[in-house]
Amino acid sequence: MARVNDPELTKARLHMVVEEMYDRIVKGEPPTMTLPVRTKNNIGFDRKLGVYKYGKKRSTRDATSLGSAKNLLRALHVVEFIEEMIEAGKSSTLREMYYISEAWGLGKFGSQNESNNLAEDLEVVTSCLREDFKLRPEEDGARMIGNVTINELNRRGQWMTINARDDVGDSGYGLPYNVEIEKIQLKEHDVKFLMAIETGGMFDRLVENGFDEEFNCGLIHLKGQPARSTRRIMKRMNEEWDLPVIVFLDGDPWSFRIFASIAYGAIKTAHISEYLATPSATYLGITADDILAYDLPSDDLSKKDIEALNAELSDPRFADSWWQDQINMMLEIGKKAEQQSLAKYGLDFVTDTYLPEKLEELGLA
Amino acid sequence: MGGVILMAGIANKMASNQKQIAISEFFEKNKHFLGFDSLPRSIITAVKEAVDNSLDACEEARILPDIIVKISKVDTKKDIIELQTEDNGPGIPQKSIEKVFGQLLFGSRFHAIRQSRGQQGIGITGVVMYSQLTTGKPTHVLSKIAGEPAAVSVNIGLDTRKNKAVKSDQTRVIWEREDLTLKEHGVRVTTRMKAKYQRGRQSVYQYLRMTSIVNPHADITFVDPDGEKHHWPRVTERLPSKVDAIKPHPHGIELGQLQRMCRESSDSRLSVFLRQNFSGVSMRAAKELCEAAELAVSTKPKSMKPDDVRALLEAFQGERTVGGKPIKLLSPPTNCLSPIEEMLIKKGLSKTIDSKFIATMTRAPSVSHGNPFQVEVGLIFGEGMAADKHVEVLRFANRVPLMYQQGGCLLTKAIESVDWRQYGLEQAGGRGVPKGPAAILVHLASTNVQFTSEAKEALSDNEFVFEETRKAMLEMGRGLRKHLEKKKKMAKTREKFELINDILPAIAEKSAAILERPVPDLAGSITKIMSAVICNESTIWNKETKQSDVSITLFNYTSRARSYSLLVNWPEKSGAEMVANERGGRKEAMGIWGWKIETLEPGEKAVVEYSLSGLEKGDWTETEVFFRGSQDVIGATKLDEKMLVEIRRQEEILTQVESSTEEVDDASEESYTPGVVEGDSNQTTLFGGDV
Repeated sequence: MARVNDPELTKARLHMVVEEMYDRIVKGEPPTMTLPVRTKNNIGFDRKLGVYKYGKKRSTRDATSLGSAKNLLRALHVVEFIEEMIEAGKSSTLREMYYISEAWGLGKFGSQNESNNLAEDLEVVTSCLREDFKLRPEEDGARMIGNVTINELNRRGQWMTINARDDVGDSGYGLPYNVEIEKIQLKEHDVKFLMAIETGGMFDRLVENGFDEEFNCGLIHLKGQPARSTRRIMKRMNEEWDLPVIVFLDGDPWSFRIFASIAYGAIKTAHISEYLATPSATYLGITADDILAYDLPSDDLSKKDIEALNAELSDPRFADSWWQDQINMMLEIGKKAEQQSLAKYGLDFVTDTYLPEKLEELGLA
Repeated sequence: MGGVILMAGIANKMASNQKQIAISEFFEKNKHFLGFDSLPRSIITAVKEAVDNSLDACEEARILPDIIVKISKVDTKKDIIELQTEDNGPGIPQKSIEKVFGQLLFGSRFHAIRQSRGQQGIGITGVVMYSQLTTGKPTHVLSKIAGEPAAVSVNIGLDTRKNKAVKSDQTRVIWEREDLTLKEHGVRVTTRMKAKYQRGRQSVYQYLRMTSIVNPHADITFVDPDGEKHHWPRVTERLPSKVDAIKPHPHGIELGQLQRMCRESSDSRLSVFLRQNFSGVSMRAAKELCEAAELAVSTKPKSMKPDDVRALLEAFQGERTVGGKPIKLLSPPTNCLSPIEEMLIKKGLSKTIDSKFIATMTRAPSVSHGNPFQVEVGLIFGEGMAADKHVEVLRFANRVPLMYQQGGCLLTKAIESVDWRQYGLEQAGGRGVPKGPAAILVHLASTNVQFTSEAKEALSDNEFVFEETRKAMLEMGRGLRKHLEKKKKMAKTREKFELINDILPAIAEKSAAILERPVPDLAGSITKIMSAVICNESTIWNKETKQSDVSITLFNYTSRARSYSLLVNWPEKSGAEMVANERGGRKEAMGIWGWKIETLEPGEKAVVEYSLSGLEKGDWTETEVFFRGSQDVIGATKLDEKMLVEIRRQEEILTQVESSTEEVDDASEESYTPGVVEGDSNQTTLFGGDV
């Protein structure tokens, strides 16, 4: 799948969703919407693309219960709304759409989550992207620092050239929600790799210690589970500039999931994995070994942590032996640790000792 | 008059002491069971005695009671309050006022065994005493008898040294109501006492509220110390049935009582004495009892020695036998009980608690240790009550609210013994008083209510009463579960109707509009979506016609033609009449009506409509629909033919009981009610009958 970027094609694909419902009613059957099952049970590795995609399992949402019937009606309202925006040359945020649905009577959304999910459903069914639907996410893009130069089309329609080291302050360059070619062009760089960092605290530590200049790398703050645009820009820099992506996260089950979504694709967005995922991304730490090797201050795993780790053991994205070992080891020691626990050995330990040692293992230092 | 039996006991105690005890001393020593042991309780007891008197007097004179209770604070620092109660009873004749308010009552009706309120408490005399002792002031009584031109106004005090009532300031006055009309008859009592008015579960308010629930024929007004007026209106014009006194049954008598009966007897032969003074003793049984006690039938009761009396008692209790067998006695008659009855409990409950679901049940009378008793229960459930608190337990004995010692009471224990979780209420570990938006009422009507202590607030253990109460509770529970299941089902059905009536047409219109095509026909989709036969029932009170309008609609949303019989329950027993029933149908059993619904084509619906007259608002709020037919019906219950047979069977028993009771009335005291066996009653109901 790629960006359709063709309003007529987008409309035609949306109409197919509507036709499915209409035709079923004409046949005297309950209307339906058919879409791939969006759970971990229906994602498989695509050898050609090197990422995890939805499999062949399909589910049919039919109007035999009030809940799914309302969902179908909402889908129709969303389709109509998208068509109106395409025709008027407008766009809206998902949150705005949620509020606009107030006027849709029986088809209005019960929560923002419902409207987000439905937008994703329509992406999945039509093989279009939400950019085609003129829908913007609410989520924050990442911050980036490093000797990387890009061109960004600003809202006055002018291309600006920005160097993410020299033209920005300490908070770095803020990525817009749309990082596609019509908005962002990758101009030039002088870095050896990109390092994606989970927490703001660690990002700022590395910036303050001048890690990007010393090790000649680009730093990206993920802000927890990374937004689509964050994953997309990493993917683009990885592909277009052939830059290795190193991922530096907390050492807990949730960080493992963040890594999986960066490297293999997220379950919720498996329909566009090849567009967002960077299969060559490398997990640097904190690993379960690190907790032992560096004797890091740690917390006991909670019940939820253990459940999450067990779920990951059966997740196809963690099927390889390295991940199985890491997950099992974490379960065994029953501990998790934060990135910032490295401060146990001083503020510079992470940049002077930990990262150089880990990067050396990866052949990047 | 209140306090007959209790006072007799006290009189005995006093007599045996052979000492003159000053009233104040007597009061001080016994205040815990006289109900004056704390300031908050004293005012409740005073109200209780006054109101019980009024209710009893009205009942006896067959007057629908209007009772007004006013409490006002006189001296807040010293906790002095004034209580005024007024009724519209027959009034007390001038010469009797002194006796009623100022004399300890000795057991003039001692042998009479009957269901009466006055088994509890000390009577209004206690209130007069308490007032006198705490404030030094007499109690003012105003009494008017119908036909007399003026009312008697008199102050009643007590001479605490002579244990005698003292009258003062007696005059005749014209009694006018607030609206200046003349009061025709009634009594007004005004008294001041040291007491504290409180709110909450143990309060005058709660006492009157509970009283109004079990006395739906009474109109009660309460003005609290803040001047706020609370009114519980009368919900029925029907007075409680008059209860007959019965003679004691040998199984329920104690030694002291038997001794006194013998002593006071003027009969010349023991066999005649036994036949004429006890219920359940036939001529043969009287002879056999004498034989078992090794006493001649010709023994003169008055001259029996203590050992003889004990031997007779042992024969009564089956400890002495004839040929190894205890003497067979008939059960006592049970027509001496006056239950409130299901419909009136329902009305009583629904006037003080607003709710969606009420189930009530009056068990058949039963007998324990020679004492007839009858258990009645009610369960009310709905949004108006707190969902996270324990359900409110409303306990009553002979129409008198029990407000203290809930945990130690047999009735509470019976409630706690039920696993309410299976019936939709919360209950930790399946034991204890359940939690949920509900209130449970239990009423024990009996000729001999046994309490755990002289405080008379908790019923003592009795396996027969416990079992009867428990069975009734299980029945309530089943009713509640049915109601909740039905509610759930109806919610689902409502969703389906919303789907096909609102959502589906919207999907059709919107998709047609987007594709710019004609709106498609929905019939096929609807059948596929519903794929069921659905029954919708509504029972609505019609203000204008004063009838309950019932409408039942049967929709066939399947692809085949169907035919059914529909049956409903209706309050036939409570005197309702079915009117405007255009479809006709037929009576299937007592309280069960049925209609045949011939071929219902796919997509078609059938409507059954009728009204119920002779009911009042709130009497009938939900109709249960049953069906006969192969395809399941959402919103109706498949008829259990066995249940129908059972109802018909019970109906037969009931008619038998009624006709035989009439015969017995003409016969003699040797009454025997068929179908009533000691400790067991056969009762079957719509919710599934006995366990």
